[in-house]
Amino acid sequence: MPETRVQLYFLYIYLIGTMLGNGHSAKRAPRTLKRQVMGPSKLRIVQRQLFRALATSVKPKKTDVLIVGGGPAGLTLAAAIKTSPYLSGLSTTLVDAGDLKTKVAGFYDAPPEKYTNRIISLTSQSKQFLEQRVGVQLMEERLQAFDGLFVSDGCSDAHLEMERGSMGYMVEILNIQSSVLRRLSELNASGLQLIDQTKVEDIRYEDPEDHQSWPVVSLSNGEVYKTRLLVGCDGFNSPVRKFSKIESRGWFYNRFGVVATMKLDYPPFKVRGWQRFLPTGPIAHLPLPGDDATLVWSTTEPLSRLLLSIDPEQFVLLVNAAFVLEDADMQYYYKQLEQGSITTQELKSDIAYRTELVYSKLDNDAFIDEIYPPAVSSIDSTSRARFPLKLSHADSYVADRIALVGDAAHTTHPLAGQGLNMGQGDVESLVKALEKAYQRGLDLGSLLALEPYWADRYPTNNMLLGVVDKLHKLYSTDFGPIVAARSFGLKAIQSLGPIKDFMMAKVSGPSQ
Amino acid sequence: MIRVLKRAYTKFNPEFLKPVSSGATTSQGGSTAASQDEVLHFTELAPSWWDVSGPQRILHKMNLARMDFIQKTLREQFKAGPDTYVPGFNYKEHLPARVSTAIEQELDQDVRSQLQKHKYRVLDIGCGGGILTESLARMPFVSKVDGVDLTPECIEVARGHAEKDPLVKNKLNYQLVPLEDVTENYDLVTCMEMLEHVDQPSEILRHAWNRLNRGGVLFLSTINRDPISWFTTIFVAERVIKVVPSGTHHLSKYINSEEIEQWFKDECAGQYQVLDCKGTMYVPLKGWAIHECSGIGNYIMAVKKL
Repeated sequence: MPETRVQLYFLYIYLIGTMLGNGHSAKRAPRTLKRQVMGPSKLRIVQRQLFRALATSVKPKKTDVLIVGGGPAGLTLAAAIKTSPYLSGLSTTLVDAGDLKTKVAGFYDAPPEKYTNRIISLTSQSKQFLEQRVGVQLMEERLQAFDGLFVSDGCSDAHLEMERGSMGYMVEILNIQSSVLRRLSELNASGLQLIDQTKVEDIRYEDPEDHQSWPVVSLSNGEVYKTRLLVGCDGFNSPVRKFSKIESRGWFYNRFGVVATMKLDYPPFKVRGWQRFLPTGPIAHLPLPGDDATLVWSTTEPLSRLLLSIDPEQFVLLVNAAFVLEDADMQYYYKQLEQGSITTQELKSDIAYRTELVYSKLDNDAFIDEIYPPAVSSIDSTSRARFPLKLSHADSYVADRIALVGDAAHTTHPLAGQGLNMGQGDVESLVKALEKAYQRGLDLGSLLALEPYWADRYPTNNMLLGVVDKLHKLYSTDFGPIVAARSFGLKAIQSLGPIKDFMMAKVSGPSQ
Repeated sequence: MIRVLKRAYTKFNPEFLKPVSSGATTSQGGSTAASQDEVLHFTELAPSWWDVSGPQRILHKMNLARMDFIQKTLREQFKAGPDTYVPGFNYKEHLPARVSTAIEQELDQDVRSQLQKHKYRVLDIGCGGGILTESLARMPFVSKVDGVDLTPECIEVARGHAEKDPLVKNKLNYQLVPLEDVTENYDLVTCMEMLEHVDQPSEILRHAWNRLNRGGVLFLSTINRDPISWFTTIFVAERVIKVVPSGTHHLSKYINSEEIEQWFKDECAGQYQVLDCKGTMYVPLKGWAIHECSGIGNYIMAVKKL
């Protein structure tokens, strides 16, 4: 008896070793290549079998929907399922690696004084979905509605003024997440389980040969779930997408987005967003409540590093200059700052002098407030950060028992502020497809149930990704003829009301 | 082509819907048997039955329309309770979107909760691999579904597939028996895309009707025997775009919706009520659509036993 126990003990150690070591690396490495090189060693086959045996030895818990990722898309999906008259009975499990229950949820009860730096634009369509359909009450005092967008070309005087009541809202991602979490705790829905600070370690089909069998998901806390439908809301590097073998195509823009939270000299007269297309990438200045504002500056990799390393005061000067001065001036400053051959004082006086020159060419001083954003006085230096910009789009959003939502299916350049809204649109559409499938008695994990979601969202998302991508490419050059052509185009749109309305409707939903 | 059409069109034997005295060409189970070549055809199809992108895709898609029809018909049997506001027909024009959706939801909720109080027992005749049978079993108002078919491979596939879903496996019961050997009574009987595959549809209808409780509903769907059906279901679907496995249909076995209604008039006068009869049509890229012309192409029908 003791002997067998000792043997069992060794077997477990061996198995755990296999899991931690070879089990995983063997899974990740390109198998076919390995096989060609070394052939399937007997040991490896035995290991794999033992690994599978161990994974199945824990009895998996059954769930109807397993959502991987507790970002805005994942949380909204959980809340939308639990508030649906048809789907609320589904047992739903959400897994997230972060600290949702205390850190994220705590944001609602004790919000920090300063704004956090992950701020996105929420279209009125997305906000309506969140509020009316899902019943989420966002923290209104921490979000800012804006009534327009002033877009200008950094290489010419062409500009486009879009105006419309409640065109969109600038909201912190934490505001959305914590508000949805608040809604979930209010609902106190049965059959909903939030598992945070936990990672997904392994996903397999219950029967590896049969893709219509239920996926079995092993978590880092030792639990194993068997799910009817696995939803990947797990971002750009989506493990769920990798498991599904759905190809995602795209490219890096070789640009970085630099973000910062800024204080303005005075609250703006017109609450609107400002965006200027510089040859290095667009810079956007977007309103927050009162005299706060947020910045997204897309630029090249070396410049993004420079922008993060310089003194906050110099950064403020550059932000103000970027909306007024010409590209040649900016290039000069970048160079001087890189070489360290200009002091903050020199930079300040030079920018002031050149800005004054530009202002003096205007017919009327009143134009200053019309075509340039309110000046920035300081930034919250801890809020400065950068992230790489890329485009990616999955070939499909659905596979047997799998759906991809949000960034797991598509990522976009932030210049049109569409990323999070596309994810919200996905959630709305997926829930509709599931409701319809439920009424028709379909298995909610079957392709038949999921296909309408993909058919509905792919064309819309593809269009948005494409337009944003072309805009990026069109504006990332200072080549004369192209600048002339795009300026002509922008001016034409500026003077053609209906086209402008159509564009706004496409981006922020039909007007109310 | 016209000659082929004419031959196929005139080949139908109206005697099909007349009562028969003795089973002539039967393999198993007397008058409700399936012919050998039909069984053989479905045996070949059985392995790919549940591949929604495979040869049965169009049937899977059709099931969506069938379920919509069944739901709608059953819901129309219920009236909204006294506490629920029932608006005028054009309320959407007069009320803000928010209010009209709230009204719709309340109405929907009311009827749904009434329907869900029922625990219907259902018989699915000609269940094949169980596409409709499983969908019915998932309905909250259904307590159990029995599926019968005469192709052993299909029953095997259906049983195997039901085993995979814990939600339905206890509600489903598949049996390889001819309809005439079924003795239980049911609240709902379905007989979908089946009459066009049997030699004696009248016998099937009679047995199906006899299995129905009073107040129960028989759902049946098949294809009108007309040139348009030949063109869509055989020529285009089987031969040109090949979305339906070749050899599935035989024009001569199609039955017009009027013939079915006539059969009820003759056989069960005063004991039946046709709740609804709708045409169904496959629209490429969109799926199956339900339309009003039940005399053309595919149709679906609901008959209540009074």
